[in-house]
Amino acid sequence: MSHGAASSDKCEPNFVPLLDLVLQLVMFFMLCANFVIEQTNVTIELPHAAAAKILDKGIEYAIYLNVNSEGVVLLAPSDQYTDSQGNVISTLNNPDQVETFLKRRARDDIAAAGPGGADKPLRSVIILRVHKNCPFEKTYGIMKACRRAGYHRVQLRALLVQPD
Amino acid sequence: MLTHKRKKVPEHVDPDLPIVPMLDMTFQLLAFFIMTFKPAPTEGQIALALPKEEGGGISSPSPIDENKPLEYVVRVEATDDGRIASMSLIEKGSAAALPKDLKADVQTFSNELSKISQQLTQQNKTGKLTLEIDDKLVQAYVVQLVDQAIRIGFSDISPVPIDPKKR
Repeated sequence: MSHGAASSDKCEPNFVPLLDLVLQLVMFFMLCANFVIEQTNVTIELPHAAAAKILDKGIEYAIYLNVNSEGVVLLAPSDQYTDSQGNVISTLNNPDQVETFLKRRARDDIAAAGPGGADKPLRSVIILRVHKNCPFEKTYGIMKACRRAGYHRVQLRALLVQPD
Repeated sequence: MLTHKRKKVPEHVDPDLPIVPMLDMTFQLLAFFIMTFKPAPTEGQIALALPKEEGGGISSPSPIDENKPLEYVVRVEATDDGRIASMSLIEKGSAAALPKDLKADVQTFSNELSKISQQLTQQNKTGKLTLEIDDKLVQAYVVQLVDQAIRIGFSDISPVPIDPKKR
């Protein structure tokens, strides 16, 4: 019985198609990754709505009001401020505090608008992210505070669902 | 005598690209993204008009204007835990004195609004819907009612609290 000469060729698996596939998967998951926007609060459970429209990406200036189930506005870290007594304000507990906060922001908007800014509509849009268990009384109080502060453009946020 | 220089044939070198470390790293990245992948529901927006005046309720009758939108008011009462207890529909300025009972059923609310919407389309008129909402009603139900009304075709919707004088 004769045996053939032993081959000296290396046997290497072809990794290239595997790498292509894995890189495509990595790309997919990277693109789908949801990065938490600083101004949105993940503890706010939004109600569902089928008629809600897809978010307008063109909004340049927005003021996020995250309202929890007790009707307290939770300010994003970048929106927190220090009051005259040196206390850091991170929550707004009633409509009057909301109005005070929004009037501060309205002053910034007017200043940014330049000469005659007081006569122009405020550039910011108020984005209301209200918890699904928040009573209407609280939501309405906040909406009235927005109005009193001079804001007219308000968006209510909801989770998009498919219509029945 | 001419001498021909022989061209040197370059030696064939196999490029050795170390794929294995790259593959290791890529698998680690893949594992990270798979483990952190959480398809979150998409957020949408509902544009709202802010309340103009204190309280809701029905103001005094105004002269009839053919082009003026017909105004419908749905009063929503709530239970102590914030659910819908009852709903009633009235047409502002209509001769029908009694409000129509919609019970606590969102489907009935939806059906009634659909009928109104069809009538408005036939008459070539527009409608304004005011939702007079109990203070205790939670946001989920408020959005549900607004959502139904938008889907039926109402674009002018005002959620306002129930005027305490009219309770």
